[in-house]
Amino acid sequence: MINSREILESFEGRMREFIDGENFKKCIQCGICGGSCPFGFYTDFTPRKIITATRAEIVNEVIESNAPWLCTSCNLCTSRCPSKIPITDALIPVLRELAMNYSHPPDELGQALTNIHRMGNSFGESNKKRTKWSEGIGFPVKVLKKGEHVEYLFIVDDFGSFDLRGQEITKAIAKLFRILGIDFGILGEKEKSIGDHVRLAGEFGLFEEIAKSNINELKNYSFEKIITMDPHAFNSLKNEYPKFNFSKDVIHYTQLIDERLNDIKKILHPLNYTVTYHDPCYLGRKNGIYDAPRRIIESIPGIKFVEMYRNRENSFCCGGGGGGIWYDSYIKKYVKVRPAEERVLEASKTGANVLLVTCPIDAIMFEDAIKVTGLEGKLKVMDISELLLESIGKGV
Amino acid sequence: MENRIGVYICHCGTNIAGKVDVEKVREYASHLKNVVIARTYMFMCSEPGQEMIIKDIKEYGLNRIVVAACTETLHGHTFREAAKKGGLNPYLVQMVSIREFDSWVTENKEEATEKAKSLIRAGVYRVNYHRPVETTTYPVNSNVLIVGAGIAGITAALVLADAGKHVYLVERQGFIGGNMAKFDKTFPTLDCASCILTPKMSAVKNNPNITLYTYSDVEKIDGFVGNFDVTINRRPRYVREDLCIGCLSCIENCVYKEPKFISEFDEGIGKRKPVYVSFPQAIPLVPVIDPETCIQFRTGKCVQTCLKGCPTKAIDFSMKEEKVNVKVGAIIAATGFKVFDASRDSKYGYGKLPNVFTTIQMERMLNSAGPTGGEIRLQDGSVPKEVAIINCVGSRNENFNAYCSRVCCMIGLKHAHMIKDRIGADVTIFYTDIRANGKGYEEFYRKIMLEGVNFVRGEVASIIPSENNRLTIIFEDTLLSRVRKKEVDMVILNVGLEPHDDWEDVRKVLNLTCTKEGWLMEKHPKLAPVTSLSDGRFIAGAAQFPKDIPDTVAQAEAAAAEAMSLVDRGVVESEPNVISIDENKCSGCKMCISVCPFNAITYNEEKNIAEVNIGLCKGCGACNAVCPSGAISQNNYTDDELFAEIMGVLRE
Repeated sequence: MINSREILESFEGRMREFIDGENFKKCIQCGICGGSCPFGFYTDFTPRKIITATRAEIVNEVIESNAPWLCTSCNLCTSRCPSKIPITDALIPVLRELAMNYSHPPDELGQALTNIHRMGNSFGESNKKRTKWSEGIGFPVKVLKKGEHVEYLFIVDDFGSFDLRGQEITKAIAKLFRILGIDFGILGEKEKSIGDHVRLAGEFGLFEEIAKSNINELKNYSFEKIITMDPHAFNSLKNEYPKFNFSKDVIHYTQLIDERLNDIKKILHPLNYTVTYHDPCYLGRKNGIYDAPRRIIESIPGIKFVEMYRNRENSFCCGGGGGGIWYDSYIKKYVKVRPAEERVLEASKTGANVLLVTCPIDAIMFEDAIKVTGLEGKLKVMDISELLLESIGKGV
Repeated sequence: MENRIGVYICHCGTNIAGKVDVEKVREYASHLKNVVIARTYMFMCSEPGQEMIIKDIKEYGLNRIVVAACTETLHGHTFREAAKKGGLNPYLVQMVSIREFDSWVTENKEEATEKAKSLIRAGVYRVNYHRPVETTTYPVNSNVLIVGAGIAGITAALVLADAGKHVYLVERQGFIGGNMAKFDKTFPTLDCASCILTPKMSAVKNNPNITLYTYSDVEKIDGFVGNFDVTINRRPRYVREDLCIGCLSCIENCVYKEPKFISEFDEGIGKRKPVYVSFPQAIPLVPVIDPETCIQFRTGKCVQTCLKGCPTKAIDFSMKEEKVNVKVGAIIAATGFKVFDASRDSKYGYGKLPNVFTTIQMERMLNSAGPTGGEIRLQDGSVPKEVAIINCVGSRNENFNAYCSRVCCMIGLKHAHMIKDRIGADVTIFYTDIRANGKGYEEFYRKIMLEGVNFVRGEVASIIPSENNRLTIIFEDTLLSRVRKKEVDMVILNVGLEPHDDWEDVRKVLNLTCTKEGWLMEKHPKLAPVTSLSDGRFIAGAAQFPKDIPDTVAQAEAAAAEAMSLVDRGVVESEPNVISIDENKCSGCKMCISVCPFNAITYNEEKNIAEVNIGLCKGCGACNAVCPSGAISQNNYTDDELFAEIMGVLRE
């Protein structure tokens, strides 16, 4: 039997350590969080009710329920909260931390975290395989060594390195960099998980360890800016790593392409697609990058661009964030229609035959959802980089 | 001279024309006897609409006007002015309501059209008998009577006095300041109530334009707008205001060494002596002797140490009631409120459980000049560790008061803050909805939440005494859908506001109307919120409805402005609808005298007839209706006019 008072005190104590963490006390119980949540229909405690539970001193019931785990960290609740409660960055991760100490987290989550701790990546693969995606790319990808200098350090992170679909996207982005003559390099086997999912999963200790170790490793290399392909890595490096004295500029690859749009436009050729674009939670809502990807899409001749009804700050999550991609079978137990399935159906309704993304997790989640919803052959998922390459390739 | 009538039918957008076939009605009206011209227009009250009437009066030589539109109250004045501009006596206009009486309340279009025809026919028949009415003007007395010297009355008095008007400020308690004087801090700024109130109280005392009557009641008001005769009854306080120097040695020297009697000002949680002042900065600083508890009054055998100690011999056991007559032009009623008696809702155990208090008691407890010197204490003198504040006690409950008392949510938040701040106790607020809708109020609410006050949505079902003098609260947490229990040391009942018990008597003396609960009635809820339905009488503060200090002060300033607008104008127009009494027909039965609410009719014994003072007549028509001999005739309501109107409605 868990002591409810003790749990409540740990909860309050941990919340106090976060910026605005105490705002949970200001909850006006409006319920915008629960209504906005992709898992709102299925969770035992919406964020509102979690806060009610703190007031009724029954946080123990919350951490024994499915509530800590039915969160994709999509940030929709947080972005809308009228009391500015950091639900995504603090409330849920703190509950997850408590749940890991006092209750039973999903088994698959434990496996992923163990892999990251031991192997430096969530896939449990040898970190030497980090460069596998560059095989057969047709040009040498520079693995940065001490003493060498590049303009951009390309951080690929786990899904772009080890997932087969992710590798295709990484390859496409690297090809684009080469076409644009961008001076970039990677860390290869020295790159380790950036860890945003670890943080959001409530493993704050492990996240801090990862972040500090990565920051130390990065000190060995000479580069101007970090460029990322994974919005989750982008978010952590940009917003979380600075808390551990890290001060490098970090950009997402779409921002660089957007900057160089005039150069790239000259080599684009018409494509006959109707496309729609899914704003990744951690590129759009969390970091406000909505226009760069859209400007890129609209620069491609022949393309018809249609918006989904829920776009930009109201974009709907793919369901893979916050560690969700690691424990899909746990989510399936409670959730009738997974967010990715709902989202691909929404994309299909626009009449688009291509669903564009700028996050490797989106590509993985949506392609799986397309199979489940019978949209195979009707809707194709592409990263924006892949679409650009196809447009360039038409002229070759 | 033959009657030449113009009929003007307003569409009022679709308000009328959406139901009434205005063209059909116009066609019908144009054939009625003496009608020279009938027109319709989209908005008759607009400038072009009025111009149309003015032009027609001249072109067609009209001498009677019928406007079929909204009501006499709404636009009667507009069209009388138009007639006047056209060169007609304004009372040769008859308004016919085909909106309020017809289009808004009739579903069937044909029925609505037929009804419009018959109402206009009645108006046309009636207007034939209209006669020109001339009004005169009367001078207005520039003094103002203000009843109630709480923050509303004080504010209004200072505004008027600063403008050079003489104010008679009457307060039934021994001291001014009202409820606000009891408070410790005020929301949402948390400034101390007496710090902001006492300067105003001193200003009242020092302003030569204010005559203050405390411990006094308004007994009678005669006269009419601009010329009221007010009788004030000054109850004896047994300490002469003209002699007392406010040294308070009488209180010190009273034979009762310790305060022994329940202090009304301290809401029952403090004690006073038979001779007392409400608080140290009381205005006037002249003690009151309570004959109910004073030994001298009860036995006649007191050693009178108070009198012996008084350096100016101001104590006078022989003081009697005294009547004062004052003349004023305007009256402001600022009679305030009382708090809900929490023992009426027995589930809270108020009056039975020693540690269940009300918010007004908490104000006294928190006040550093109060009975505990600002200490928050349980009945046994210990400091509570856990406190519950229960909102909506007596409010939003059809078993008691259906309305929301508007101030309690904020009071609860304020108390929660002060309790946490002073003693660090855990505070839980039980609420139904938090209503924080003033400037800075929602922000205050958020601030209090952030301070760690616990909020539970759900009303308390019972409070049960438990061990160690603790109280077990049972409630449904409606946000969790669970029935829960909580143990606390102290409960504060957030009581609502109610009109005074004697509101009916006060209403009668001041000749005001009230809601069914007893709140003073405004002339219009939006557009005339401080004007009463009686001319020359204005209302301010919580006597009208529960309101907080900012709203009360704003309303008091508005009432002062309305009163000033009247007394500064210097004249009032006489009532047009006054009566006249035909000496030859009057039988001297005096029935008219008994029904006249304005004392405008007197009996002439010599002639055995009733006589009217048309300066006092307000044209209510009560006498006209009861007069059995038909001796009374009223301007604009002559029998000819009324019978013609009735004939018009009835004739097909």
